Amino acid sequence: MQSLPLNKRMLIFVGKYWALMFLILETILFSFLSHGFLTLRGIQIIFFFGTAIFLLGTAETFVIITGGIDLSVGFIMGFASIVSAKIIVALANSGVSPAWSISIGVVLTMLIGLIPGYINGLLVARLRVPPFIATFSMLAVTHGVSELLIQGVPAKNLPYLANAIGNGYFIYIIPGKVVSFFNKPTASFRGETLLEIIPNVVVFSFILIGIFGFILKRTKFGQHTYAIGGNVDAAIRAGINVKRHLTLIYVISSFFATSAGIIYMLKYVTGKADAGAGFLLDSIVAVVIGGASLYGGKGTVGGTILGCLILAVLETGLRIMGVSTFDKYIAVGVILIFAVLIDQFFPELIHKGD
Amino acid sequence: MKKIFFVVVALLLIAAVGLPVFAAGQKEEEKGKKELTFAFVPGIADPFYYTMERGIREKAKELGVNIIVSEYPKSWGPEVQVPILEATAARGNIDLIMIAPTSVDALIAPLKKLYDQGIEIITVDTYLGDGDYSKPSEYSFPLAYIGTDNELGGKKVAEHLAKMLGYKGKVYINTTNPDVSSVMGRVKGFKEGIAEFPNMEVVGVDYNLDVQQKAQEQTLAALQAHPDIVGIFGTNLYSAQGAYQAVVQAGLTGAVKIASWDATEDLINALKEGKVDLVLAQKPAEIGALAVEWGYKYFKEGAKVPKKVIPGFEFFTRENVNDPEMQKYIYRK
Repeated sequence: MQSLPLNKRMLIFVGKYWALMFLILETILFSFLSHGFLTLRGIQIIFFFGTAIFLLGTAETFVIITGGIDLSVGFIMGFASIVSAKIIVALANSGVSPAWSISIGVVLTMLIGLIPGYINGLLVARLRVPPFIATFSMLAVTHGVSELLIQGVPAKNLPYLANAIGNGYFIYIIPGKVVSFFNKPTASFRGETLLEIIPNVVVFSFILIGIFGFILKRTKFGQHTYAIGGNVDAAIRAGINVKRHLTLIYVISSFFATSAGIIYMLKYVTGKADAGAGFLLDSIVAVVIGGASLYGGKGTVGGTILGCLILAVLETGLRIMGVSTFDKYIAVGVILIFAVLIDQFFPELIHKGD
Repeated sequence: MKKIFFVVVALLLIAAVGLPVFAAGQKEEEKGKKELTFAFVPGIADPFYYTMERGIREKAKELGVNIIVSEYPKSWGPEVQVPILEATAARGNIDLIMIAPTSVDALIAPLKKLYDQGIEIITVDTYLGDGDYSKPSEYSFPLAYIGTDNELGGKKVAEHLAKMLGYKGKVYINTTNPDVSSVMGRVKGFKEGIAEFPNMEVVGVDYNLDVQQKAQEQTLAALQAHPDIVGIFGTNLYSAQGAYQAVVQAGLTGAVKIASWDATEDLINALKEGKVDLVLAQKPAEIGALAVEWGYKYFKEGAKVPKKVIPGFEFFTRENVNDPEMQKYIYRK
């Protein structure tokens, strides 16, 4: 790299880091344009409302690295929001305390939520159904089952505790007086400065994302994932149990979609079939911006989070400005094409020096 | 790549923690001059809330209050409205938020958080919990609820419709969402009203979740299942518009009477054309103006705000639809 002329090195730098530079530029731009954007509150809003794309993006990262795609994540998310809401309401109505109802409901939903992913995995890995078709069918099935469960009316009547957890924070600080974890301290007067730091749902999400990011990057499981996406035949010859591995990948994807659904339920105390419908495009876009290739073999969780942040900053920035977010869709489309073109025509820009 | 990324995130977090401290300092100074800023967060992009915004802006101009209007949610639901609410509040220096909560429970925690920061809340058109802010509860913190008495309105619609139908026959309700206080009040009132007539019966209630297409399909299905339906109540503009289109499609115009809620231009035209028979007009501009006025009185004069403020409503029929007096009740931006 040292031997290359300066302009060439600059170009490679841009090719490699364009997404990060875009995020920084975007952040600086909004800091000037929208009053209240670069504040504790503004930044936490980006993360709070970004949790759905962070989780679905991570789900999609695993699948896309293997060369597949998972179109069902959005409706698995909706399915999970409904299942969890139904279980919790049923438990709470039969006299179980809210805390236990929520815990049991969440655990059961996490288990039930693995089923659609397992079926996706079986279809793709064992029965050789193309991922696009398999997961598209699962999208329809989960949508239908969700609507059947709720009969077209959103699941409601969750205990207030769910709303408190979903909208609560990890750390509360009243400057110079109290530092408290999870429990909101009572202010001595209304309007007293109370710093609320890191929403609970962001903490939950990033613990999960961190664990699976580590697995992808540092373990044999992760290496095998890249190997399968790079060249399936070579992976088989190398002795990787591709069928089992692929099945697991779709289960992981479903696991993240389910987590997103549970978080939706906690935030909005509602179970809705189309809870995640709008996030599918965003999550795939985020993965591609993050440097993954739709042909497989490439991509990182860190890159995906970067991609998610670009989208979340754009949306929240426009909102705080008070501008309609219709523009967001145009921007998302343009950024996506840009990302794919860089990947397609300038691979040397990205891979030199790896 | 990774290192740079973490450095950026770290810098952002430091800035995030640092800035509010400065901001807090500024706030104290600004409190002195006391120019009021009210924010308006509508429920969905529709003529009802556009009209309310007009009422808010006119009153605010008169009283010298700054108004921030948030982005209009593209669909009805807390998952769309809460991000808009929080982003609007993040701009800072807001004294009062006038909001039409899109859910009776999902909006409690986000609004309470803003209330705890010292922002006053008035809910307009829809309310939190059961709408009774006068007794202490998790949702009793707003200053007031300002909106139509939906139960009374529903009951009056039932009486008018029953009269048109000669006090007999089956009627059907198409409404939006069981999670929304306003339309549920209308359904409840309507059912009570119909129950007073022994020869009348409500044969079904469908929820279209604010999707007109769905309202149309549901009404068609209901007409199939009960060919002897003689009256339909559409509880908001999407419900009523979908319902009358279904009746037109089924070729039953005139044979099935349609009562609708909300005087949009579309529904008023439908009334003139004979596709709709009764339109209840709420007073969104008045609701908006009252919210600004009570907010202003609260801050400037320390007035005690009534927990419930109920403006009236008007009925459009084919007889009075061209009255010059009535034109001001049609929803216009």
